[in-house]
Amino acid sequence: MDPEGLEFQRERHVLFLEMMMERLPSDYETQEINHLTLAYFAISGLDILGALDRVDKDQIASWVLSFQAHPRTKSDLDNGQFYGFHGSRSSQFTIIDSEVSTHNCSHLASTYCALAILNMIGYNLSNLNSEAILISMQKLQQPDGSFMPIHFGAETDLRFVYCAAAICFMLNNWTGMDKEKAKEYIVRCQSYDGGFGLAPGLESHGGATYCAVAALQLMGFINADVSSKPAKSMVIDVPLLVEWSLQRQAVNGGFQGRANKPSDTCYAFWVGGVLKILGFYHFLNKGALHRFLLSCQSKNMLPDLYHCYYSFAALSLLEEEGLKPLCVELGITAINGHVWTTDVVIGPIRSSEAVHEKS
Amino acid sequence: MSSSSDDDDRIPFSRRPEWSDVRPVPQDDGPHPVVPIAYRDDFRETMDYFRAVYLADERSSRALYLTTEAIEMNPGNYTVWHFRRLVLEALNVDLHEERDFIDQIAMRNPKNYQIWHHRRWIAEKLGPEAADKELEFTKRVLAYDAKNYHAWSHRQWVLQSLGGWEKELDYCQKLLEDDIFNNSAWNQTFDFGLSYNQEYSKVRYFVITRSPLLGGLQAMRDSELSYTIEAILANPQNESPWRYLQGLYKGDTDVLVSENQVSEVCLKVLKIDHSCIFALSLLLDLLCYGFQPSDELKGVIEALRKSEPASSDDKLASTICSILEIVDPMRSNYWAWRRSNLPSKAC
Ligand SMILES: [Zn+2]
Repeated sequence: MDPEGLEFQRERHVLFLEMMMERLPSDYETQEINHLTLAYFAISGLDILGALDRVDKDQIASWVLSFQAHPRTKSDLDNGQFYGFHGSRSSQFTIIDSEVSTHNCSHLASTYCALAILNMIGYNLSNLNSEAILISMQKLQQPDGSFMPIHFGAETDLRFVYCAAAICFMLNNWTGMDKEKAKEYIVRCQSYDGGFGLAPGLESHGGATYCAVAALQLMGFINADVSSKPAKSMVIDVPLLVEWSLQRQAVNGGFQGRANKPSDTCYAFWVGGVLKILGFYHFLNKGALHRFLLSCQSKNMLPDLYHCYYSFAALSLLEEEGLKPLCVELGITAINGHVWTTDVVIGPIRSSEAVHEKS
Repeated sequence: MSSSSDDDDRIPFSRRPEWSDVRPVPQDDGPHPVVPIAYRDDFRETMDYFRAVYLADERSSRALYLTTEAIEMNPGNYTVWHFRRLVLEALNVDLHEERDFIDQIAMRNPKNYQIWHHRRWIAEKLGPEAADKELEFTKRVLAYDAKNYHAWSHRQWVLQSLGGWEKELDYCQKLLEDDIFNNSAWNQTFDFGLSYNQEYSKVRYFVITRSPLLGGLQAMRDSELSYTIEAILANPQNESPWRYLQGLYKGDTDVLVSENQVSEVCLKVLKIDHSCIFALSLLLDLLCYGFQPSDELKGVIEALRKSEPASSDDKLASTICSILEIVDPMRSNYWAWRRSNLPSKAC
């Protein structure tokens, strides 16, 4: 317990997430298109809280897999569309009695969330037709190395470079992207103050900085312990980045996403995660951050899923008792993250969908 | 987060004669949906009708109208936006009108990615003639929220893709004047001035380094340095001009070290504000790059060290780290680490 009597109320948070799994309040309808992302927050949140035994993993696997867009034939993979996962049902239609999509709105962020969820519930990703995802994903990469998230066009920025890198990493196959080009784009996003903007020339931002550093880490461009390596060996300016990141811890102990902005729980993960990946996490004021995060636990109001999730993630970085450790760069718990580096498979799921994926 | 304000007098699609021939397509959530959303009736019905026209690929004016309603309830739905663009193209709609629609909806949802993307799509189609309007629009959004990330992003895209650099210099100048005015005149506008200043250095750096009309960073350095020093002295607690100052010499530390005005501004600030961490940390960086401190500077720093007297072999850089450990408690571990990792050339 904290000296000020603040305590992490694990059981209450588990109940809250279980409630969200049951039904999301109407206010979430404006985020309907990101339904898989909302599911990711709830399920990954339960995972961090060590309460994943409370969900039906087979049911979740079937549900997530049902969002995948399937090409009719292999030649479809050259048609410019991305065969990943739909974000929601709102525009997903399939030809009757088949799973071929008539309208393909697959999105990189939803695909990242789908794979992350499948990963954390122990679904064996090698059951997926990863070739369809990866080959069609190449078309989303732009000449400057950035990614657009959907084949019919949308903003291109660091968020989707991160999603692409995480997808390749989880599928353990990098044919989906040109790593060198992606790296060049990321490097161009580093601002003069050391942080990263969402696109070249834009103001440094906590979330963008996480995307940049985590993507570089997943792609293998960051050495495990940067703090012991000479700065010159790095593709980015690490000392400046570390100082910018540490400077984001505000007087109330919380982290802000940008200079001169109020602190906000989610940046304790975004910026804290950057410091963790770089090996500089021990330099922030952990006690002050811990107090800030605990003081943000809402008493009566229902918190929003996004900030709730990133508060758990941030507390996990602080090694809060009872929380599972994170694979920071992947945004899921570490034990799952390791499945992909050590090839350990956690109990395969026997669902009809899992069998479909092979075909 | 509530949907449209005229909920009460909204007529359901099912009771609108012009939609009587359309059979809505309900959403199929499957047998065991995870995190199901408790949709409101209006939302559900609108999306059911949207699915119907989308599936039928009906590119008509009623479909365009339907996307307007769907977007108002659900501005993040990129599929609805995408379909709207197909309809706009099919009907050959005047994009100036579409821009007026976006003016309205963007003011209500200034942080929505899809709206800004749609705006860029329109501007791209209209070409360079759209530059003035786009710059004007972002200016309006920024006057309301000087830190709106989307507006800055859009503004930079407009400058780089459609032009308008000539006027951007005037805009910068105006921001500077407003900024100084705000900071000195009213205390209650302090926060506003602070954030304005922050944005200002960002956009200024962008203009200085990217504008084809200026000679690049090096040509502008002298005038930028005096502007930045002025901004620092006006408010030494604002991190932004300090970062900007270092940004001016990025990759050119020798020039930074040899520029006397840089150490002088640190000294000036420390004489008024003994614990200004930005001044102290800039001095520390200068020393690490090989800067030779004057006796006056050494004296001021030694005076700041309140507790135990310095042992004679202590470096000045080490003293600064010790001071920072105390005055900057959020980062004291970091400053201690810096102290034990000083480069050999640091004084
Ligand atoms: Zn936040």
